Amino acid sequence: MHTTRKMRAWDRAGTALRHAILLAIALAMAFPFYWMATSALKTNDEIWSFPPVLWPDSPQWGQYAEAWVEAPFWRYMANSAGVALAIVLLQVINSAMMAYAVTHMNFRLQRLFSGAILLGFMIPATAVYLPGYVVLSKLQLLDSYAGLIVSNMVSVFAIFLARQAFLQVSHELIEAGQIDGASHGRILWTILVPLTRPTFAVMALITFIDQYNNYFWPSLITKSPELQLVSAGLRSFFVEGGAYGLKWPLIMAASAFTIAPLLLLFLLTQRTIMNSFNLSAGAAKG
Amino acid sequence: MTRAEKLRKDALALAFTLPAMIPMTLFWFIPLGYVVYLSFTAWDFMSPEKTFVGLENYRYLFESPAFYEAVGVTLLFCAGSVLPTMAGGLALALLLNRAMKGASVYRTLMFLPWVTPTVAVSIVWSWIFEPDVGLANTVLQAIGLDAVGWLQDPQWALPGVLVVTIWKSIGWAMVFYLVALQNVPAELLEAAELDGASGMDKLRRITLPLLSPTTFFLFIVQTIGALQAYDQINVLTQGGPSGSTRTLLYMYYQSAFESFNIGEASSVAVVLIISCLLLSLASSFVSRRSVHY
Repeated sequence: MHTTRKMRAWDRAGTALRHAILLAIALAMAFPFYWMATSALKTNDEIWSFPPVLWPDSPQWGQYAEAWVEAPFWRYMANSAGVALAIVLLQVINSAMMAYAVTHMNFRLQRLFSGAILLGFMIPATAVYLPGYVVLSKLQLLDSYAGLIVSNMVSVFAIFLARQAFLQVSHELIEAGQIDGASHGRILWTILVPLTRPTFAVMALITFIDQYNNYFWPSLITKSPELQLVSAGLRSFFVEGGAYGLKWPLIMAASAFTIAPLLLLFLLTQRTIMNSFNLSAGAAKG
Repeated sequence: MTRAEKLRKDALALAFTLPAMIPMTLFWFIPLGYVVYLSFTAWDFMSPEKTFVGLENYRYLFESPAFYEAVGVTLLFCAGSVLPTMAGGLALALLLNRAMKGASVYRTLMFLPWVTPTVAVSIVWSWIFEPDVGLANTVLQAIGLDAVGWLQDPQWALPGVLVVTIWKSIGWAMVFYLVALQNVPAELLEAAELDGASGMDKLRRITLPLLSPTTFFLFIVQTIGALQAYDQINVLTQGGPSGSTRTLLYMYYQSAFESFNIGEASSVAVVLIISCLLLSLASSFVSRRSVHY
């Protein structure tokens, strides 16, 4: 009796300690976001005061509006969202078709194609940016939405996810469809894709976030300010408009409204995003 | 099946692969061959002629101290970002892997950095690293340490970039481990407990071995990711000061898109590609042999 009570006390102390550690870490991890949002509200005196102030005396809410009009952020965000959506759509289509071919259509060269996907998986994308840039310039697609979209329209990861999902669907189901006289296209789009919808939801969401945030490649191929994606636009505002850290409140405000839509998207779709880990955990098993 | 039927079937299947294979060929396979070819030439992007120089670029690369410096920075960057991310992710997952109130709130807060654009959060961090009144130095001084020149001092620039990199990906590793931990059979742990195993024993003898496929997968994915890190380096330090954060990838970017030395850049790219291929090959080899379930 005595020992169990003692153990329970220990357990409770352990749980409390666990909560304390987790809370401290979680707050520390989220603190940069708080710091960003409140730095945007500080006056020039407050931003340069030492030690720093945790919450400004009279929050300068107007600085958010001021930053918003200093650069075409609306345009940048629309560019990012539009390009990302187009890429999501194309990737869903081509990865579903590719995955269908290598999982449910028996044909010669099938192994070669599976090998090609694997090879694509192993090549570091950034290492081929230079020759990719030359290819895009030969196609006259530099500095255009089309160039951004077509050069990102295929993703080995997306094909891989779709393939994993289609492998779970039995061949009999496909054969039944064929006996009923359905074409491959019909089987793919009216049976397979609806059956594996969770995978495509995850794929669409992850691709959207990746492409919305994308920076390196887009900053190489779209140089015109009006075509820039949001990360490149924010970065040029940081360097030029923000005069490299002289206008920190405005820079923090701009960072905040760049980050905000993604935080919101994440909070709304958390379940789907977390599900992606269950799906790609399959990859850990080879 | 007649030959004509078979051909028709093959053609149809090929048609299904085209929407993916055409862009993949244009933007992956052709560039892959092309970059190898370019690494044997001298070219500046502008001139119509590419001069064939054989292995000259590689000879130059392997004799240049800047290359070995970049290799050193790359190794430090990979080790310094991947190992803490994985160890931290595992520790957080072990702390969180228990039915308790608020677990999902903690998980969400720790995962947030992964969703946000690297460029935007790197800008926020460059404010935190501000030398005079920045948060990082304020905290250091509050606990009685000296302020350091984050991002300005060659000694501290790489640690600064690493802090941002780890902060951004630790929650991602944590969720991966959480999923894997949920697949550790509870009966196994209970049986060990009945046999008198301590918490540490169970962790070392059961949980960690069962997590090894995940550990291995994370290690490979994170290392390949670290080899390609660009955004945070570009925003925070641009490879500086005095090359202290210039990784191989950043060196490749600078010689290609800043000094237009295409031949040299391509030879660096080939080194990067070979490193990643070796990593992937090693991964399939090792996972077949020594990762135990």
